[in-house]
Amino acid sequence: LADGILLERRGVPAVSVCTDKFKTTAEAMAKLHGFEGYRFISVPHPIASLELPQLAHLAVDALGEVLAIFEVSE
Amino acid sequence: VTSDTTTGDTTVSDTMIDHRQVRRAIEYYYEHGFTDGLPVVPPTESYLAEFLAQVDRSPDEVVAAMPHLNRECTLRLAAINSIMAGCLPEYFPVVLAMLDALRLDAGARGATRFSSGLWQSTTGTVPITVINGPARLRLGFNCQGNIFGPGFRPNATIGRAMRLIAMNALGLKPHVLDQSTQTNPAKYTCCIAENEEESPWEPLSAEAGYGPGASTVSFMMMRSCMHIEARSATRAEHVLNDFANSVARTGVLYSEKSSCLIVVSPEHAQLLASHGWSKKDVREYVAANAVCTREALERAGKTGISRDMHWLVPSDHPDALPGEEPQFERRDGTEVHPVLSSPDDVVLVVAGAANAGVSTVIDLMGASTAPSGRGGGRLPAMSEIVLKPSP
Repeated sequence: LADGILLERRGVPAVSVCTDKFKTTAEAMAKLHGFEGYRFISVPHPIASLELPQLAHLAVDALGEVLAIFEVSE
Repeated sequence: VTSDTTTGDTTVSDTMIDHRQVRRAIEYYYEHGFTDGLPVVPPTESYLAEFLAQVDRSPDEVVAAMPHLNRECTLRLAAINSIMAGCLPEYFPVVLAMLDALRLDAGARGATRFSSGLWQSTTGTVPITVINGPARLRLGFNCQGNIFGPGFRPNATIGRAMRLIAMNALGLKPHVLDQSTQTNPAKYTCCIAENEEESPWEPLSAEAGYGPGASTVSFMMMRSCMHIEARSATRAEHVLNDFANSVARTGVLYSEKSSCLIVVSPEHAQLLASHGWSKKDVREYVAANAVCTREALERAGKTGISRDMHWLVPSDHPDALPGEEPQFERRDGTEVHPVLSSPDDVVLVVAGAANAGVSTVIDLMGASTAPSGRGGGRLPAMSEIVLKPSP
């Protein structure tokens, strides 16, 4: 999550993605970097043990939120 | 402080205090989330001054930092947490040397993901420190029986100081910035001393070029801790193969290569030395024989290598690099993967009681290549302890 914030601060549009089990940590990291309320995406846990079709499905599901944070439309 | 309920007089006494005040002080630290779950010693300014007087360094010096968390620990904060952990003032130079070694370790690892991720990882990596030299005896460190267990104040409280500094000064609280899935019990405290008196070999500090008058702290990051039973071994190879097989078990492998600290009991060390084995010989044997068969890795789904992180994954995993696999070599008709890159991936320390043939294999997270390796080889990050002269 910190990487997303650091990229944004360098002027590079970025969206941080984590799984829902890391949401609390991600929010704490954003606060530590002086960016409380930083918008990021949390997807259902787990990721590491998914098969490719499940991963693709998850990515497609998350795309709308990614674009919303970038404030662009499909 | 005691109050006389009949006269209303309040008196201060060294021997009598009001238990409610003690309880209130202890609870204050729980209420503010400043403990590891066990009670802490409430620090006071006067007691803090005793700690600061043990070192000739500025209280404002930054002694530990987590730049990615915007957190720093000053020497004063380290002293406050050392008090809370139950340290005596004379232990404080050891705590500082431990933090100096931590900085060397983080620096030697280089990449920020190692210096940061190690403390927050789901693996639950924990520091293990080893004390060498005369400070062990002067401060009363345990280096014999129950080496990883309770009952010895320097071991227990100096290791605990490290954890309280991590939690309170660097903000690494569980369920928030510390994301470890399970970790291991050593996270409360893990500081051992080498049993130099019953070791047939040179101590760890001597390997780094320190003389017998020097006291040192060596700093490593532990992933797991495994007890080795080899009570009836009659040959050096019996013990060494038990070590090697334990280092190479599939469950502990997250990437192609591993590294380890072997805490050798005096009985095992003496058996090995009596058969002519030096520390160097032992490291070389373990490095050469810590191998995993292809079949064992296949059965555990660890014959693929992931992109970016290079973790072991099933070869048909979506993140597996096509055609990539751990390095195998053929030995006696069987394909095996050596899990250690070199003998430098084995650190040896002798500790425990000389009462049984049991030792411990500790799996480390990577190996630092700290500049403490004065002898030429790679060794854990190491710092010298500077104690005030005895009164």
